[in-house]
Amino acid sequence: MPPKFFHRFLRWFCNPRLLDRIEGDLLEVYFDRVHRSGKQKADLRFIIDVILLLRPAIIRRTEMHSYSNTGMLGNYFMVAWRNILRSKTFSFINIGGLSLGVTCSLLIFLWINDELSVDKFNSNPDIYSVYERVFSEGKIDAGPWTPGELAAELKHQVPEIKYSSPIWNHNEELFTLDDKKINYRGISADSDFFKMFNYTLLKGTPETALRDPDAIAVSRRMAEAFFGSPEEAYGSMIRIGNQKDLRITAVFENVPDNSSEKFEFVGNWHYLLETVQWLKVWIYRAPFTYIQLHPGTDPAKVESKIKDFLTPFLTPTHGEGYKTELGLQPYGDMYLHSRFEEGVPAGGRIENLKLFGLIAVFILLIACINFMNLSTARSVKRAKEVGVRKTMGAFRSYLVTQFIGEAMLLTFLAIVLAIGLVAITLPYFNLVTEKHIALPFTSLSFWGLLIALLVVTGFIAGAYPAFFLSSLNPIKILKGSLKADPRSLLFRKTLVVFQFILVIIFIACTSTISRQVEYMQSKNVGFDKENLVYIPLQGDLYVKFEAFKQQLLNKPGIVNVTRSTNAPTDINTHEYDLEWEGKNPEDKVVAIHNGIGYDFLPMMNIQILQGRNFSKEFISDTTGFIINETALKLIGYDDPIGRPLSFFQKRGTIVGVVKDFHLKSLKDPIMPLIMFLGEDAHWGYVLVKTQAGMTQEGIAGIENVFKDFEPEYPLRYYFADEEFQKLYSSERTVNKFSISFSVLAIVIACLGLFGLTMFTAEQRKKEIGIRKAIGATTFSIVSMLSNDIVKLVIISTAFALPIAWFAMDKWIAQFAYQASLSFWLFIGPALLTLIIALVTTSFQAIKAAIADPVTSLKSE
Amino acid sequence: MKKYQLGEFEEIVILTIAVLYKEAYGVAIKNEIETRITRNVSMGAMHTALVRLEDKGYIKSFNGDATEDRMGRPRRYYQITALGKKAMEYSRSTRNDLWNSIPKVALDLKIVG
Repeated sequence: MPPKFFHRFLRWFCNPRLLDRIEGDLLEVYFDRVHRSGKQKADLRFIIDVILLLRPAIIRRTEMHSYSNTGMLGNYFMVAWRNILRSKTFSFINIGGLSLGVTCSLLIFLWINDELSVDKFNSNPDIYSVYERVFSEGKIDAGPWTPGELAAELKHQVPEIKYSSPIWNHNEELFTLDDKKINYRGISADSDFFKMFNYTLLKGTPETALRDPDAIAVSRRMAEAFFGSPEEAYGSMIRIGNQKDLRITAVFENVPDNSSEKFEFVGNWHYLLETVQWLKVWIYRAPFTYIQLHPGTDPAKVESKIKDFLTPFLTPTHGEGYKTELGLQPYGDMYLHSRFEEGVPAGGRIENLKLFGLIAVFILLIACINFMNLSTARSVKRAKEVGVRKTMGAFRSYLVTQFIGEAMLLTFLAIVLAIGLVAITLPYFNLVTEKHIALPFTSLSFWGLLIALLVVTGFIAGAYPAFFLSSLNPIKILKGSLKADPRSLLFRKTLVVFQFILVIIFIACTSTISRQVEYMQSKNVGFDKENLVYIPLQGDLYVKFEAFKQQLLNKPGIVNVTRSTNAPTDINTHEYDLEWEGKNPEDKVVAIHNGIGYDFLPMMNIQILQGRNFSKEFISDTTGFIINETALKLIGYDDPIGRPLSFFQKRGTIVGVVKDFHLKSLKDPIMPLIMFLGEDAHWGYVLVKTQAGMTQEGIAGIENVFKDFEPEYPLRYYFADEEFQKLYSSERTVNKFSISFSVLAIVIACLGLFGLTMFTAEQRKKEIGIRKAIGATTFSIVSMLSNDIVKLVIISTAFALPIAWFAMDKWIAQFAYQASLSFWLFIGPALLTLIIALVTTSFQAIKAAIADPVTSLKSE
Repeated sequence: MKKYQLGEFEEIVILTIAVLYKEAYGVAIKNEIETRITRNVSMGAMHTALVRLEDKGYIKSFNGDATEDRMGRPRRYYQITALGKKAMEYSRSTRNDLWNSIPKVALDLKIVG
């Protein structure tokens, strides 16, 4: 026998018309050869013969080639178009629902695309961020904050490193040129900065941009604001912070929107070190450190090499046993993977990206299900067409092509509509997301995405109806004995249940997110944040604070003035050297410290539990501490007042204990807080309490007095309650997103329900007419038509709620202070969905139920 | 010129069919060509030519008896049609014309050379 596989292969590819004769010839020759030269040789020749038979004339014709497709395609197109026009409501529901879904997913895709593009213009893959992980109390804390001298030291000691630069984010700095005074945000970096990163230089070269200590690079925007043009600015002098004149040695193009680092100037690192002396101290970690490896270097090798780099610098201060390591993260990954877990990058924005990507897919799926359901439900209407086509000799594959093609046509219309909708909604979308996304019509990948969307959506939406419709038996159809297939009914119900599971999950999650956001914004933070304004200390205001305060108190609308070294909404200066009596020397503790004025506690309305506030009557209070409950718990003194504490290179005693108040957002737990008297601190904020309802007057007073004291500086002020809201801006964005998605999801799903009920009501028109004629009430007919929907929604609820509960339980775990997940938070959405679904269906049901039975019955 | 298309190999095949007369079926044609012009003919090439000739209407085919050495597949016999005969004649006459038009000198020179 000839080799089986090749024999089969021949039978598979050979044109059936030619198969017999060719196979016969081959076999005859084969057996002849077996006789003459043995089986092995004959087998080999057989295989060669079969392979040589692979010729166009002999290979089987594919079906597509055997009919003239242009004429048929024209017919398909015409029939599809007529169908769209004939049943306008269904077409509207189909196209409208799909385009809503596509709009939503397009927006999300644009957003994801934009997020993914962040920092990618700095495409050099050899740039890494150096992060530090510290092992303490069995925990690993990691973050990109590193000592100021690390970058230079790394480059000095590790030959694999080509360039290195620290980056320090300045607060706003004042720039002066003659009469012009403008505040700008910027960074300081080492001279390698422009050699590493892809910021376009309009003037100057990467080599010379930051070489000299008095050099500064400014953005085009800043150059134009001061000098009118980059050319004019290049080489000119500009004054920073009213102190020092710097020479502009480079002008760079404005930093692109998709850069995570936003700055208008780049100062020289060595100049920064002169002004911020503590950056030279190794135990203080604040700047970011970036390195660029020589091309082709294995980052894993460098990583293991620098792992223990910091230890020799830190052990003198922190003592033996202090464990710290360095790690590397590719620069392009930082933006999306900024969260560290167990000392390695674990996630961050990427999680939101994935979540919203999933939501986009689900919303699209809900829209596709509408399409599937309506098409299969209405299949009876198309059945005759299928019957005729089949009788006339249409293969099943033609019908499948036809129906999928039709779905594609509808999807195409939906996508065109969706692009219009996206163009309209994009400005609002940008507002919510704080982005500058434009429709990228020139980008090839965008068109690729649209085509992929068309094909995938068209296929998902059209495949089931296509296979269902094309499977119908023409004899049954044409005889008129086609019955609604119970399996397809079940399938439709399953799809509806699936839709509503998604909808209920969306709504339940949204209600939880809203609840948590509202909780965080409204929870009592432990101090009075109303009518509180704060002003950053500028110039030498810190010296003149007392006089400044007295002047302010004379102005109308100002109730009280005090100071704090941190903004009250973000008290975050960490300190690691807290010592107390009986402390286990092995323990590494982290505490927050804040310097406050005498009036801080009364003004903020913070309750004192033990001891007293700082007072001018006690000179010793300059070395006193006031701690919060959490700190007391950590220290463990039974009777804390008067007990010693050493902290922030200060020895002192505890004078008071206050009730815990929130130091930062409610995402973070309340940390141990040590407050010291900060009346003579050199940095921080002036806190002003205005009289309720007299904010305008208060601000006017502040402006007046500030101008007298610091004419060189523009006044900046913040409202505590506004700043407090800003802490939750990302959660609010997520909340807004999820609300809109839920609304969209329920609208699309209800569109589908609406269509389905309309269809059922139409199908059962006669039945309803007869029932009414015999005496059925309107109510009984409405309930008959809506019964199914109620059942489906209840089934969906049963599936959806556990999933939603599980998801939200995980989500809410990221917040230190959580709104309680109540039962109603989940049952509410289910009820809401049920009501909306009922309203949608009963609209059609009532219309059918109150129709005059005479009209429906006399038509035959 | 386009009147009768007959490729070189197709011409060999159709001539062989004529030679074999009543016995012209796949294997026979293949063997005949191979012995006459000592050239290996693959099954694929031959059947392609046969399909083309049949499509052009130069030959027609019918099933013979099934035999055991073909495992029940009938032999497919080929026969030249009237059109096929015309095509052969046309091909032959064009060649003869060409032959006749060769100046004697050219061939003589060839022989000498």
